[in-house]
Amino acid sequence: MSTGADLSTEAQLRARIAELEAELVEQAARAEAAVAAAQRRSYWPDLLQLDFEAIMRHPVLRFAVLVPLKVRGAGRRLRWYWQRARGG
Amino acid sequence: MTVSVIVPVRDGARYLAELLDAARAQEPDEILVIDSGSRDGSVEIARAGGARVIEIDPQDFAHGRTRNFAAEQATGDVLAFLTQDATPAPGWLAAHLAALELDPRVGVSFGPHLPRPDTSPMIARELTEFFASFAPDGEPALQGPGDEPFLSNVNACYRRACWEEIRFRDVAYSEDQAFGRDALAAGWLKVYAPGAGVLHAHDYGPVEFARRYFDEYRGLRETTGHLEPVAPRESLSYVKVQVAGDRRWLAEQGVGGIDAARWTARSVVHHGGRRVFSALGSRADRLPPAVRGAISLEGRTDGAGGDHDAVAVEAPPEPTGRVIPPKHDAHPLDATLRVLRDGPAPLLPAAPETAERDRLRIAIVIPHFREGSGGHRTICTLVRGLEARGHVCSLWLHDPAGIHQAEADSVVRAHVDEWFGPVAAPVYKGFEHWHGADVVVATGWQTVHPALLLDQVRARAYLVQDHEPEFYATSADRLFAEDTYHRGFYVIAASPWLRDLVRSRYGADGTAFELGVDHEIYGMDPGVPRRDDTIVFYGRGATPRRATELGWLALSELRRRRDVRVVAYGDSAPNWEQPFPYEFLGVVAPTELASLYRRATAGLVLSLTNYSLIPQEMMACGLPVVDLRGGCSEAMFGENGPVELANADPVAIADALERLLDDQAEWDRRSAAGLSWAAERTWDAAVDAVEQGLRESLRVRAR
Repeated sequence: MSTGADLSTEAQLRARIAELEAELVEQAARAEAAVAAAQRRSYWPDLLQLDFEAIMRHPVLRFAVLVPLKVRGAGRRLRWYWQRARGG
Repeated sequence: MTVSVIVPVRDGARYLAELLDAARAQEPDEILVIDSGSRDGSVEIARAGGARVIEIDPQDFAHGRTRNFAAEQATGDVLAFLTQDATPAPGWLAAHLAALELDPRVGVSFGPHLPRPDTSPMIARELTEFFASFAPDGEPALQGPGDEPFLSNVNACYRRACWEEIRFRDVAYSEDQAFGRDALAAGWLKVYAPGAGVLHAHDYGPVEFARRYFDEYRGLRETTGHLEPVAPRESLSYVKVQVAGDRRWLAEQGVGGIDAARWTARSVVHHGGRRVFSALGSRADRLPPAVRGAISLEGRTDGAGGDHDAVAVEAPPEPTGRVIPPKHDAHPLDATLRVLRDGPAPLLPAAPETAERDRLRIAIVIPHFREGSGGHRTICTLVRGLEARGHVCSLWLHDPAGIHQAEADSVVRAHVDEWFGPVAAPVYKGFEHWHGADVVVATGWQTVHPALLLDQVRARAYLVQDHEPEFYATSADRLFAEDTYHRGFYVIAASPWLRDLVRSRYGADGTAFELGVDHEIYGMDPGVPRRDDTIVFYGRGATPRRATELGWLALSELRRRRDVRVVAYGDSAPNWEQPFPYEFLGVVAPTELASLYRRATAGLVLSLTNYSLIPQEMMACGLPVVDLRGGCSEAMFGENGPVELANADPVAIADALERLLDDQAEWDRRSAAGLSWAAERTWDAAVDAVEQGLRESLRVRAR
């Protein structure tokens, strides 16, 4: 016959299991969302079968990717400084 | 190399002296004649011609056996066989020896049979064209495995080592053809030596030719299993072509006038008789012995009695086929095999609380798909609903046939989003990244066995959208599909009728949901005028359960009665077989379909199994529908409900369509009933039912 202590222990264990399962679900949700997002981002490169690792290893092609990124980054910084200078 | 010329003889006096003179002129080391009971002085002619003669009992003669005996008695390194009516042409032996020396692997050479001056044009042309085909350039032609195995002991020369290894089969006929095949299969080479010609022609009269063909094709059947086909139309065509060839040959030889006409008639009889008696010879075993003996030129009756009696006929060689390399690492139904052999993966324990948890991890296994798949559209609609309720869903594509092999996971997922509506879930190709779930959901029979092999799972559910065994004729696929209902999945069926069917037929436990209608797309628009002459037909011929042939016949009958506009959609290509013009829309987007339904007069959607989304989408647009009486449609809609039911009979279906075209009151009644029906069918209600089914699958496990 279960004692009060046994029932309490069982309830605690069940609660702990429920907590762990909830954590597992949260973890799964974040993982699936990340995979889905990665799949959305990689659609065009996959469709065109672009190998970005090979491109970045190429001595010339990597600049075709890096230069626009650098220019865009510089432009954003300039815009920020300009807005600050104008008191925005 | 020393050479023995060997000639089996029986009453060969006609050409024997000429043959021996021609052979002796080519200076072989030995000429050996094996005589089997000649009574025309052949033995004396042979001895006078300088040959060594060995006489044997006629009863002991057989083409293969006797030639083996002769080879054993001969002394030469090379065995040059001739028949008693084959006269070597100048240069014959030298050409054979040169052929044997082309390669140490050459085991045998054969040369052309040249027509004698008095040979008929049919035989002369045939001989010339036949042997010319072995060496179009006129040079010796090496033949190996896979090449034409033709060989004829009328004129053939053997390396002794090759004969010792292969030997002639002990058969009554075609021992040379069999040797040719056996030698090539054993790795020997064969050479056609154009310069090693002999004068030879069996120029019999038409009747004798026919009997000769009978014997030849009987021999071929016995040694190679060849069965000459009985093909009257092709035979006629063959005779025409051959006679035309013979006439051309006659013209080239300068033969014209009455002679050409006479030979033309002989040609028709010759070639026609050949077709008939070669087919008969292939089937000689079916003829009474007396008939066989009467037709056979050699008087062979086979079996007990006859001149060549009790011959051991070897079975035809074992057929070998083309080796087909493997295309896949595993059979497309490998999961089925593994489940049957090893059983399913064990399930994790499921506590009662698991079923009541707010959020469940749900893994849905889907089969391969293409645009327009209604089943996948339903799955994705349900997934969106489950995601809206907070559940964590993932889609797992089971594609053993490699339909999506060339597509990355991201591309597959993009197609799912584009064709079946966006889902938040990722799409995984295969199970390489499998990470477990609370519930794994199989969605088609092909996905059940793979789902059974997935571990780290607490419960299994089976989304049954149709009774799939009925998609197949009696077949292995049907057996495998039926097996899936016995695998302990909790069934979530797409209608109460379907749930009751799987329960009563297979004892499978489960629940049901009803398909919803996307009311944002399918609905009435009072401002849109409706036509009174348009039938919309869901004619997806690629799906047999749609009974499209029945629908087309009904429309054909309706068109016979009156002029109606027929608009067909659902298939990727039009049906070109209809006797009336119609409009073909192909695979259509939902918004276009809704627009079509609002303007049409009646819809024709036939289903021989579970009902589909289409009738209720039509009804939601106020379009009355005709479907088949009996089965799911009658169970779902009732006899006097929103759908006009007709027997599976094109006339009855045409009658039902005509009622909707002519009877406005009936049209109004069905349209109103359909709108009312569709209004109660929502995807929210469907998702609720499916969610409850998934939770129940966990509760059942926890009990």
